[in-house]
Amino acid sequence: MNLEAIETVPLITVVGPPNSGKTTLFNYLSGKNYKTVNYPGATVEYSIAHLQKRFNINAKVIDSPGIVSLSANSPDEEISVSSLFNHPVFGSPDLVVVTVDSSQLSRHLLLVKQLLNSGFKLIVALTMNDLLKKKKLGLSLVKLRLALNCEIIQIDGRTGEGVNKLLRIIETELEKTKLRDKKSGTISLSKIDHESLLALYKEIETIEQDVIYEIPTNGNGFDLEVANSQLKVIEPPKESRNKIDSTTLRIDKVLLHRIWGPVFFFIIMAATFTSIFWLAEPLMTLVDDLFSFLSSESATLLGNNLFSDFVSTGIISGTGSVLVFLPQILILFLLLGFLEDTGYLARGAMLVDKPLSKIGLNGKSFVPMLSGFACAIPAMMAARTIPNKRERFLTIFILPLMSCSARLPVYALLIAFLLPAEKSWLGGIFLAAIYIFSISSSIIVASIINKFKDKIVKEEDNSSFILELPAYRKPKLSFIFVNSYMNAKIYMKKAGPIILAFSIILWFLTYFPNINPTVKTNSQTTEEITHAKEMERLSTSYASDLGKLIQPVMTPIGMDWRVGVSLISAFAAREVFVSSLALIFKVTSDNDTFQQSMIKSMREATIGNSNQKLFTTATIIGLIVFFVFALQCLSTVAVSRKETGGWRIPLLQIIVFTTTAYVLTFITVNGLRFIGIN
Amino acid sequence: MVMKMKKASELQYGEKATIDNIDFSHPSSQRIIEIGFTPGQEIELMNKSFFNDPLAFSVRGSLVAIRKNEADCISVS
Repeated sequence: MNLEAIETVPLITVVGPPNSGKTTLFNYLSGKNYKTVNYPGATVEYSIAHLQKRFNINAKVIDSPGIVSLSANSPDEEISVSSLFNHPVFGSPDLVVVTVDSSQLSRHLLLVKQLLNSGFKLIVALTMNDLLKKKKLGLSLVKLRLALNCEIIQIDGRTGEGVNKLLRIIETELEKTKLRDKKSGTISLSKIDHESLLALYKEIETIEQDVIYEIPTNGNGFDLEVANSQLKVIEPPKESRNKIDSTTLRIDKVLLHRIWGPVFFFIIMAATFTSIFWLAEPLMTLVDDLFSFLSSESATLLGNNLFSDFVSTGIISGTGSVLVFLPQILILFLLLGFLEDTGYLARGAMLVDKPLSKIGLNGKSFVPMLSGFACAIPAMMAARTIPNKRERFLTIFILPLMSCSARLPVYALLIAFLLPAEKSWLGGIFLAAIYIFSISSSIIVASIINKFKDKIVKEEDNSSFILELPAYRKPKLSFIFVNSYMNAKIYMKKAGPIILAFSIILWFLTYFPNINPTVKTNSQTTEEITHAKEMERLSTSYASDLGKLIQPVMTPIGMDWRVGVSLISAFAAREVFVSSLALIFKVTSDNDTFQQSMIKSMREATIGNSNQKLFTTATIIGLIVFFVFALQCLSTVAVSRKETGGWRIPLLQIIVFTTTAYVLTFITVNGLRFIGIN
Repeated sequence: MVMKMKKASELQYGEKATIDNIDFSHPSSQRIIEIGFTPGQEIELMNKSFFNDPLAFSVRGSLVAIRKNEADCISVS
C-alpha cells in the first residue's frame, strides 16, 4: 500500500442521526449500492469509497452508523465516533458532511452543534425537505446559516436534487483545507453531560424558533416561500411543528394495537417464512431442470470415463444440488428487505422487547435475530446496536440457532424425503414448524444461559431500550430488488467456491484409490455391474476410511459413516451436506430431477450389508434436529470471536450447541423408534 | 395554578403533558435527553406495547419508544 497516496487524498466523513438520509447521500456520492435501511443503526460497519469519478473531485468518503449524539452508547456508535476523532487508518476527516432531517430539526441539530463545538469543518445537508413541506412548514436557510455559521444545503439523496450544489461546496471547502496545515486544526471532544445537553437543546430551540415558519394554507403552493418571506410571520404554533405524520399514526393504531399488534406481528412473521417455501417452488424447478439437463448432457457427451464422472457428478451435480436453493435464499432476502424498508422492524423490536428482556435479551436483539434467518454473520455484526454488553453477548450466543439460509437446502431435502410427492404442498408448513422449533429452542437456550449470565459477562451495565420509530414509508421496490440481488450475489460468492471445492474434494475421496474395482460379473446386466462397481469403489474409498473413524459416533444416532462424512464436510458450510450426500450416493440424473433422484437413492440406501434402511422417518427427523442445533459454520465461529473479543463465547457455543445437537438427535432417533416410528 | 406532578410512565393513552424535569440519576437519563426529552417539551403517549412496556411517546415531532422504567425518570405536569 502506498501510504503516501492515502495521506494526500482528502477525507470526507458523512455522519448523521439514524433515518436522516445519511446512507442515501453516501450511496449517491460513492455511486456504490450500499444499504440504506429504515431502521435506526442499521449501517453496522462503515463503508469507504471514492467520490464518483463523474463528480471530478479527488476525495474519499466514509459512511458510518447513525448517531444521535457524540457520546457513544453502543459499539456501532463507537465506530462512528471513533471514525470522527481518531480513525485508525485515516485520522480525522478534512470535512464532515452531516445529514439533518429538516422535519426533525429540533432533534437533529444536537449532533450538528456538538460537531461544531468539537471544531470540525462542517457542511450541513438538509434532507426530507418534502416532509417539512407536507407539514406546511418552511425553513429559512439564510437564518439557519447565520445561526450555525457553517455551510447549509438542501438535498434529496434519492433524486440527486441539490447534490451538485453540495459537491461544489465540498470542492471549495476542500480547496480551503489544502491551504491550511492539516495538523493545525484543533479537534477535540468536549465533555458531554446532562447540563451541557440541556443547554445545547435550549440553544437549538431558539434556533428552530427563528428559522422554521408556517406556510399559509390558503396559497396555491407555488410561490409560497417567496410570499411567505415577505410576510411578517407571527410566532408559529408549536403544535404543527411537532406533529407526527398522520398516516404513520393511523397504521400504528393497528400494528401497535395492544391486542392486534402481537396478532399482526405473528401473522407477518409466519407469512414471511412460509412464503419462502411457496414462492420459490416454481423457480427451484427451473434451476433443477437446468442442472439435471447439464449433468446428463455432459455425461453423454464425455462418455463413460473418469473425466466424465468428475465433470457430471463432481462439478455439475455438486454445485447444482445447492444452487437449486438459490431462489429460496433470494426470496428470503427480498422479504427481509421489504420489512426493513417499510419501517416495521423498529415496531417489531418494540413489541418483543418485554418478552425478550425476560430471557436476558433486548428488543434490539430482534433485528439481529431476524437477519440471523439469512446468515449469522451479518446478524452478529448487527448486534452491535445493543448497548448492554451482556444482552449483546447473549444475542450473539443464540444467533447460530436462528435457522440461517444455509440450512434451507438441507431442510428442503429432508422435508421432501419425509413427504410423499402428492403432498409436497405441506412443505411450507413443515418448514414453518422447523422455524418455530428453532425459535423456541433459542428461547430455551437463552433463558438457560441467562441463568449463568454472571459467568459470561461480569460487569453489570444498564439495560435500556430507547428506539426511534421511523415514519412508515412505501418501500422502494427497485431498491429492494437490487439489494436482494446484491445480497444473494455476495452469498453465492462466499458459499459458491467452498461448495465447489468440497464437491471436488469429496468426489476425489469417494472415487479413489480403487478406481476400477473388480466385481463378480457372472450372469449380470451391464447396469448391475456398473452399480456393483460403484458400490465397491465407494466402500473401499478414502472417504470410507475416513468415515469408519467416526462410525462409532454415528451408530448411536442411527446413521452410518456416509452421513458422518457429509456432516463433517458441512462444517465448511452447512449446505455442503446436500452436495456431499449427492456425491456419496452417486446421484446421476436421467429423467428425474436432482431432488427426485437423490431421494430415490436415499430411500434405497441401507446400513452396511443389512436390510436396515439408512434413511427412515426417525433418522431424517433426527438429522433435522441435529441441523437445528449444531454449530457447523466455521465463519460464524470466527465472527463470534471477533465481535465478543475473545474465544470464550465461540468455544462455549461450539461445545454447547454440538453436544446439544448430538444428545437431542440421539434422543429423537431412539425415542421415535421406541414409539414405533422408524 | 399548581399542577399535579407525575411521571411520564403514568400517562394515559393519548394524554399530553409537558416535561418538568429529568431525573439525572437514572442510568438512561443522558440518552433520554439526547433523543429529545427535555424540560419544557410537550410529549404525548401514543402507543403501548402488549405488556404495557415499552411505551411510545411523541416528542419533538417523532415517535420514540422507551421502557416504562425509563419513562419513570421523566416527570411531567
